[in-house]
Amino acid sequence: MMSLPFLLFACGLGAAWLRQRGAAMGFWVAGLVVLLVLFRVHMTDVLNIAL
Amino acid sequence: MPSDLSRLLNALGLIAVDTVLALAFIDQLWFRDLPCPLCILQRAGFTAAGFGLALNLLFGPRPSHYGVTILGAALGAALSMRQILLYIVPGTGSYGNPIFELHLYTWAFIAFALMIVGCAILLFDNRQFARPEPWSQRLSVLPLVAVVTFAVLAVGNVFSTLLICGAGFCPDNPTEYLIFNHQFGLTQFAQAF
Repeated sequence: MMSLPFLLFACGLGAAWLRQRGAAMGFWVAGLVVLLVLFRVHMTDVLNIAL
Repeated sequence: MPSDLSRLLNALGLIAVDTVLALAFIDQLWFRDLPCPLCILQRAGFTAAGFGLALNLLFGPRPSHYGVTILGAALGAALSMRQILLYIVPGTGSYGNPIFELHLYTWAFIAFALMIVGCAILLFDNRQFARPEPWSQRLSVLPLVAVVTFAVLAVGNVFSTLLICGAGFCPDNPTEYLIFNHQFGLTQFAQAF
């Protein structure tokens, strides 16, 4: 699961190498969304700070 | 800004990202400093940000490619800031070994901020997008090395993360490669056959 963003970015690079810019951008967006979800999942501790 | 100069700066930027990802691997493999979940996500942030620079090198500079880098760097900066805030109160610990008196997540935040500022500066000049002259062949080796190394490091992180975390989520403080753990991993998989 944690390796999914890297996999999507690597697939995007592969698509870019094959001159498929739209597919590359699609893989990048998917990777960014997965990264955001994983960030949310890993925000488990409450920050001990006053803002 | 001539497109050759833009291409050179993008290549140098991507090599800088490659260097950061490679140093993270050296810290993991040489100093046996296994990355925490947020550290792995920051590596992914560098990959997301470097992606835009790679697109600039493969397709030519476009504002949308700089947008890719800025968004990736912004998310990476948020990730590293979250980790800085976890340990910002003195006496609440830290994660990993400091380098030049700063922890890796603090260095990561500085690097992400520099990437955003660098992209903003590069975006000031619109002449690179007009591309009046053809791409120079003189710089073809450097962008090629930068993009190929970046792809290798992205694929390397796929396998590294699989080894550390297995197929699920990572433990908060990893002390061993989960996939080699007897409870969950290759040993059990091998015994099945």
